[in-house]
Amino acid sequence: MAVLHFSYKMEISYEEPVGRCYFTIKCIPKEDARQHLTSMDILVLPESRYSYGKDSFGNRQIYGCVEEPHNKFIFQVSGDARIIQTDYEEEECAERTGMYRFPYGKCIPGQEVLNYYSSMDLAGCNNNYNTCMYIMDKLYQDFSYVPESTSVQTTAEEALGLGKGVCQDYAHIYISLLRLAGIPARYVCGLIVGEGESHAWAEALIDGKWTGFDPANNCLVLDNYIKLGDGRDATDCAINRGTMWGGGRQSQEVSVIVEKK
Amino acid sequence: MKQPGLLKHTDKLNEQMARYGVKFGIYKNNVFKEQLFPFDSIPRVIGHKEFMLLEKGLKQRVMALNLFLKDIYSKKQIVKDGVIPEDFIFASSGYMAECEGVMPVKGIYSHISGIDLVKGKDGQWYILEDNLRVPSGASYPMIARELCRRSSPETFRDNKLEDNRNYAGLLRWTMDYVNTGGHTVILTPGRYNAAYFEHSYLAEKTGAHLVTGSELKADNDRLYYISADGSREQVGAVYRRISDEYLDPMNFNPESLIGIPHIYDVFRKGNVALLNAPGNGVADDKGIYYFVPEMVKYYLGEDAVLSNAPTYLPFYEKDMKYVLENFDKLVLKDVAEAGGYGVVFGSSMSKEQKKDFIKLLEKEPRRFIAQEVIDFEDLDIVDNGEIVPRKADLRAFVLMADEPIVWKSGLTRFSRNPDSFIVNSSQGGGFKDTWVLYQ
Repeated sequence: MAVLHFSYKMEISYEEPVGRCYFTIKCIPKEDARQHLTSMDILVLPESRYSYGKDSFGNRQIYGCVEEPHNKFIFQVSGDARIIQTDYEEEECAERTGMYRFPYGKCIPGQEVLNYYSSMDLAGCNNNYNTCMYIMDKLYQDFSYVPESTSVQTTAEEALGLGKGVCQDYAHIYISLLRLAGIPARYVCGLIVGEGESHAWAEALIDGKWTGFDPANNCLVLDNYIKLGDGRDATDCAINRGTMWGGGRQSQEVSVIVEKK
Repeated sequence: MKQPGLLKHTDKLNEQMARYGVKFGIYKNNVFKEQLFPFDSIPRVIGHKEFMLLEKGLKQRVMALNLFLKDIYSKKQIVKDGVIPEDFIFASSGYMAECEGVMPVKGIYSHISGIDLVKGKDGQWYILEDNLRVPSGASYPMIARELCRRSSPETFRDNKLEDNRNYAGLLRWTMDYVNTGGHTVILTPGRYNAAYFEHSYLAEKTGAHLVTGSELKADNDRLYYISADGSREQVGAVYRRISDEYLDPMNFNPESLIGIPHIYDVFRKGNVALLNAPGNGVADDKGIYYFVPEMVKYYLGEDAVLSNAPTYLPFYEKDMKYVLENFDKLVLKDVAEAGGYGVVFGSSMSKEQKKDFIKLLEKEPRRFIAQEVIDFEDLDIVDNGEIVPRKADLRAFVLMADEPIVWKSGLTRFSRNPDSFIVNSSQGGGFKDTWVLYQ
């Protein structure tokens, strides 16, 4: 168990003013058997009215509209989260887990992923946990972490073809492999202690419990990880989604703080 | 049947319909073209007793499909009980995870259902497919009847048929029944949509506002209609003629320019009704079709009154065996396609094509269904002054409010090509009025 203080801030700057912008932010740590929020602050600038809700994956979201022209959009979510356990049962969405068994979106396997999967010798894995560990280890050896080598749009198939990528790509490839092995797996977006940006990993459903695997670091997800959201792939739990009028070119800056208390 | 009055008016009726804009648009090589929807003035006539049976079966089917949707996006009891394999839900292109746990107003998913049937030469009706997303076509028999009555009033005095001009009233009642407070609107993608005639016609007849996405705005978990002078008024029901994918760029396809950002979030909070509810594609999938009679049994405890065309799922080994052995007499359908596309007859394939198709079938068995070719009844049409038989189907409309109501008419579409079984308007067919006799 650990208590983590966290802060996630995104600042988007536009070259030309944005006349109107709709936003959905999924950046509030999920509350479940794994973690619990003890305090939280939300800041959205320019100040605007927003609503709270929950999406169909159980992610908490805030959404609204900025009506006044602006060159900068800023949001920040900060607070304290208590991480209670590492693998956990999820009651709320239990009947939906089937959606994590089938190919979807950026995790749809193509020839690269299928070939890679069939090159693996899973005969020695006598249970799903071992299969998850084995595939994670194998992927870690064969795939390279190279910052900025892929984009948020890159699919598992494309990344595996490149042989390199970032945490999102590790997670996508890993998920598509686990699903091929018949293990329900989902994408997790979150934060880890000591890292200056958001992180991505995967959870696998093993014996009715979700267990976190971090394929980019080849390790299990412990109490130094805060979950923000999850879904079938990265798009389902994207931290920020917007529809805007105007703006021209944009740049964004993200700052993340996560500390053990 | 006395109908000579109508027959001689065929050309005039078609002219009038052209003037009223009874058209549908299609995109061919990225160019938008509008085509007239040819009208044949010989009606399809359904007897009173015959229709009562259809009515009973259609009500039952639409009730079961609604219960199925409610179940699928919540507890999934029908999957847990092993009636439908999980694969046909989660791997279906019509399943939308974004709809999980979202309960539409009063639990109704398919308010307007278009059920396609054919009548076999044996006199039995078969369900061909269910359309639970944005079924179109009701406006055509409505306006046809209106114009026919005008050109030949005596026909409608002498024959004992149900008036079908009540569709607008039924539709209005269906929309009002789920309205959460505020205006009722019909949302159209705009002028360049295949069914724009229908959108404007239904708006006129029901008294609902016809709006495009830019006239609606979601704010603070409510939906508003923004009028030309900038004032806003709350909207309580949206009969949307935009597909799920394009409805809301913040929840579905982010590229959509015709949708309304956050409209789905308003719906999720229960503050607006969307007709039909998003996510219905999981129930009118050609793969799920196979299970509908079992669904009727499961949810209603009754035997299905109306039969499916005999269908095989290559997903099941036993069915695959049958399909391979009887390939030449079956029609194969790609479950992901609609509008008459992705349909092939085993008998029409060359040896080479057959080999390739079977390979594909074995690789992706869930993607296809196979059906016996039903020898369906021909209807007479007038072609260049001559009466000739053509294949036809029937789209029946079932509206769901406090209980299902079957419209006592329907869209009869026929193939103009004597060798074709495919009657979809996007494939160049025509239509007829559908008469239901009241005694």
